[in-house]
Amino acid sequence: METVLLPPSTDRMIDPLDNLYATQVVDSVTSSFKKIAPFWPLKNLIAVNPLQGFEELPIEEALALGHAYFQQPTLPEPMEAINRQTIKWLSVYVDDGQATLPMPMRHLGLFAAWRQLAIHDKSLYGQDMSKRQWLANLPEQPAQALRESLFQLGVPTDEQEEFLTLMLTTLPGWASYIRYRTDWAGLDAHHPHPVTQVDYLALRVIITALLWPEARTLLTWHQRVLENAPSGGNQLAQLQQAERTFRVPLLKQLAAQSLPGPHVPDAQFVFCIDVRSEPFRRALEATGDYQTLGFAGFFGLPVQITDTVTGESYASCPVLLTPNHTIHESPCGTATEQQQNRSGYARLKMLKRLYQSLKYTFTTPFALVEGLGLASGTWMGLRSLMPGLAYRLQDQLVRSIRKPMATSSSWDSISGTDQSRYAEGALRAMGLTKNFAPVIIFCGHGSSTQNNAYATALDCGACGGRHGGGNARVLAGILNDQQVRQELRKKGIVIPDTTRFVAAEHNTTTDEVTLFGDSASGALQQISQDLAKARLTNSIERLKQFPSSRPGSDEVQQTWLRSVDWAQVRPEWGLARNAAFIVAPRALTASLNLEGRCFLHSYDYTQDPQGTILTTILTAPMVVAQWINAQYLFSTLDNIAYGGGSKLTQNVTSKIGLMQGNASDLMTGLPLQSVYATDEQAYHEPQRLLTVVYAPRTLLITLVQTQPVLQKLFGNGWVQLACLEPEDSQPYLLTRDFQWQSLT
Amino acid sequence: MLLFILGNFFHVDRLALVMITLVLFIGLCVGSFAYRYLKGDGQYRAFFVRFSLLIGSVILMVSADHMGLLLVSWCVSNGLLVRLMVHKSGWKAARAAGWLATRNFALGAICIATAFALFYLTTGESSIQAVLRQSGLSPLMSLALGLLLLGAMSQSAIWPFQRWLLSSLNSPTPVSAIMHAGLINGGGFLLVRFAPLYLQSPLLLTGLAVIGFLTAWLGTFWKLMQPDVKRMLACSTMGQMGFMFVQCGLGLFPAAVAHLVWHGLFKAYLFLSSGSAAQEKRIDLDYPPGLPAFFGSLLCGLIGSASFSLTSGETWFVGTTTLVLNAIVFLSGSQFALPLLRVQPLRMLPGALLGTALAGLIYGSSVQLITGFMAPMALMQPQPLTIFHIAGLLVLSVSWIGMLFIRKPAKTGALPKWALKSYVLALNASQPHPTTITTHRNHYHYR
Repeated sequence: METVLLPPSTDRMIDPLDNLYATQVVDSVTSSFKKIAPFWPLKNLIAVNPLQGFEELPIEEALALGHAYFQQPTLPEPMEAINRQTIKWLSVYVDDGQATLPMPMRHLGLFAAWRQLAIHDKSLYGQDMSKRQWLANLPEQPAQALRESLFQLGVPTDEQEEFLTLMLTTLPGWASYIRYRTDWAGLDAHHPHPVTQVDYLALRVIITALLWPEARTLLTWHQRVLENAPSGGNQLAQLQQAERTFRVPLLKQLAAQSLPGPHVPDAQFVFCIDVRSEPFRRALEATGDYQTLGFAGFFGLPVQITDTVTGESYASCPVLLTPNHTIHESPCGTATEQQQNRSGYARLKMLKRLYQSLKYTFTTPFALVEGLGLASGTWMGLRSLMPGLAYRLQDQLVRSIRKPMATSSSWDSISGTDQSRYAEGALRAMGLTKNFAPVIIFCGHGSSTQNNAYATALDCGACGGRHGGGNARVLAGILNDQQVRQELRKKGIVIPDTTRFVAAEHNTTTDEVTLFGDSASGALQQISQDLAKARLTNSIERLKQFPSSRPGSDEVQQTWLRSVDWAQVRPEWGLARNAAFIVAPRALTASLNLEGRCFLHSYDYTQDPQGTILTTILTAPMVVAQWINAQYLFSTLDNIAYGGGSKLTQNVTSKIGLMQGNASDLMTGLPLQSVYATDEQAYHEPQRLLTVVYAPRTLLITLVQTQPVLQKLFGNGWVQLACLEPEDSQPYLLTRDFQWQSLT
Repeated sequence: MLLFILGNFFHVDRLALVMITLVLFIGLCVGSFAYRYLKGDGQYRAFFVRFSLLIGSVILMVSADHMGLLLVSWCVSNGLLVRLMVHKSGWKAARAAGWLATRNFALGAICIATAFALFYLTTGESSIQAVLRQSGLSPLMSLALGLLLLGAMSQSAIWPFQRWLLSSLNSPTPVSAIMHAGLINGGGFLLVRFAPLYLQSPLLLTGLAVIGFLTAWLGTFWKLMQPDVKRMLACSTMGQMGFMFVQCGLGLFPAAVAHLVWHGLFKAYLFLSSGSAAQEKRIDLDYPPGLPAFFGSLLCGLIGSASFSLTSGETWFVGTTTLVLNAIVFLSGSQFALPLLRVQPLRMLPGALLGTALAGLIYGSSVQLITGFMAPMALMQPQPLTIFHIAGLLVLSVSWIGMLFIRKPAKTGALPKWALKSYVLALNASQPHPTTITTHRNHYHYR
């Protein structure tokens, strides 16, 4: 493929049109990236709709476009070499600490660093010196270099955006990570190795210009694909079948419920809306006079949590929000105990440092393996043959080096006014403004798994893929503050002096609930016992969903064993089988077995005449639920194009994501084992989210009319909205053209 | 009678016992891991059938005395390994990786078969033990040993045969574990099996050491620059295999066996735990170290190396090749002490000296456990030190020092052109074979 490349124009400095063209290119880049959903890195995996970029379209059209862009069984052959090169360069650039000798000059940014290395990369230009010359003479500005390469490829200006889109969708996973880094990075926004969307596309189009001068034909290839695309309607029809079989009985059951009058229980528990809370709440309610509520697991606090011992910091709120405050968590206890804790941490760190210093350098690893072989062999045997014992031993060992110590949070950074504001907002939003029980427990959640690259996908989505206990602790602390309570009294929320707020964390893998603070006191002792009962009940339930479990014996132990086993690919089912988002008082669902398929958000429309709370619920938690629902849905429909593929052959790359085998696209979405029971049989039942709201239709419809995001989701068919009309206790379904349709 | 005939085919000596123990233990660990890890997989049963057959054929291979039996079980084992590697034949890149490995193993098998034929032609014996009893090497015998060496190199991914190994990560994780702890060591086993003959040829031994040094260095270099965990582990194995060859080339065959066993366990563990790679936080090692810390650590290295030779029995003879091993222990001891001396080096020195001495003792006894067991085979025969050994050692030491003093500035500063060129060269050289990369997401298949 000998082609003579045009020399780059030499007088570009004085060409006034240059800037204009460059701006046009930048606009096209931005628009093309809009079609790509972001991919959060492994340290906080957030569920997203892989077709997020097409949500502005009716779902049928989006499915068809998704098929054309992402589900093609093949690519034009020359694209394969281009992808190989892109993967090679991108994985070394975005590497967050795997390589000891990383790609040089990354602090300059993706394009600037790559440009200096690419001229030495013979695999890009072979023996063709004119190509090398062209590469070396490219402008330093990525936008101009991109423009030049598009020109080189002969891509017409009006097809530029489509061409750039194809450059992204032919390697969608890696593009998704760039989308995250450029539009959703959160605390990663000031990454030491900066990257821009133009940087990435410049790199990709330059590689394309070098390896496939006729790449323009990609446009005609895509055109052909579009013409032959199957209609999205067929795919949708299958979903609709499943949706109907689920929806009709659910709505009928809900409509048949009656709401009992108010009553003060022994204790109230606030759980996350996560579908995994529902079976546990049901089990817990059965053990005593307990009332449970559902609320977003970050408890309304947009905070960043910093561990003062390790120095680690993370945003503990939904990715739609930016943290406004920093919470410091430090060990409790006397100064000596705190010092002991710190030196314990330093000792652990020293052990790791010793190991890493021998492993990640020249020559000494030869000795390291000989010295550690026996120990690692023994440890491997223990973990494989007796994972429970191995876990206990490790736990004991770590405890002996660093004594575990309760931590306390400091929320000084939140002003008094803000504290009252958050407290009031949270209580009103969860509908808890009167009938306070003597003990109220805020229960965050998180998972515990071993050797699991997807660990954070099982954590609290509302806390940005983290454990939610920290947020629960802060809100409980704020509400125990007398000044805050006084402020609340002024707003009409009277919390009795005898009421105490307690924080807790629900482990969704083992169903163990940890109570923070002095759990020894009388009332909490009873609660601890009942939590243990609920744990047993739920363990029995959850084991039924794992074919290999042995029913009828030590269920709690079996469930726990899954969480500590390094060979376990299905430690828990996560949010699989999720199907509905129910916004209603708990009393409406309390006597139903919802099989862990529903997000439950507490809501009392009588306290929300303007619909402001409902607006928040539908535009924030419901959107998160929709992202989760869509991720499970698409990962099940096509686990290769939209999911991660099998865990068996996955390979953690750059510490941020997973590839299949030697090298591949970045595998966004959930792995096979999270949604399939076997290679053939799906566990998750793919269906679109059904939102059920117990509120008047009139309130709902006015609200939908004012919120573009709701019109998009309901009108385009991404989410279905059902209303349980309090007046006639009948269910109604919102049609795509915003009409209420009686179910009966 | 039957037993007698069968007995002629086998020779279960101490080497075979070590290998059988290793293979059975790894088989047990990886098997029980896979028992849960592969749940729900369409190839579940087939996997365990192949897996058990593989363990069986490797045991046959290491205890074979008849060259024909060794060759057949060698080929069968590699065939089973390739089938396990491919796992799901719907995935094009996995098939390509299997094909690449097959071609490599076939080449190795041809070399070994030819070598065995030559042995048979020159000695008239089909028993390995009988061949080993020959004294003096005829040119044909030397040729056979050279071919055998090529076979061993291809099996153990020694440069220039490393490509199949770096392209083997389309395999399920447990298969990588058994491969890196098991069959990859086939080359080392073969060399040790024929060690009495190699020990008669200083030329071949030197060749072994040189090719080993090269592979050890390249493998480590590539390992340090990989962004994904599995390819990092594969490059690392390549380096470790190179080091095993070095040990053989130094005439210290039992040390090579010790290395093979301990590395196998270590690497199998790392593969099985590769799902946690993203959670591993790298700790800043504060390089370059201050000079007091550096020289303090060298002192610790001396003590560590002394205590190592105390328990390992590999004594310091400046004139022989044991020097190479002891020098590496010295470097490792120094590296071990560096983090301990990071702050307040003078105050920490006594503790660091003690710690390094202790580490040296443990390390030495771990090596001794295997070399001691193999002592009756009399394969520990240090060779006279030559310029090649010193050159190899020098490269390893200078690279080690370079990592301490140059790496940090290289992360942020501007680099000379040759450094950039070398980076790109090494990056390209350590890529998997193009056909084994999944270039289009939908080319991947789990069925």
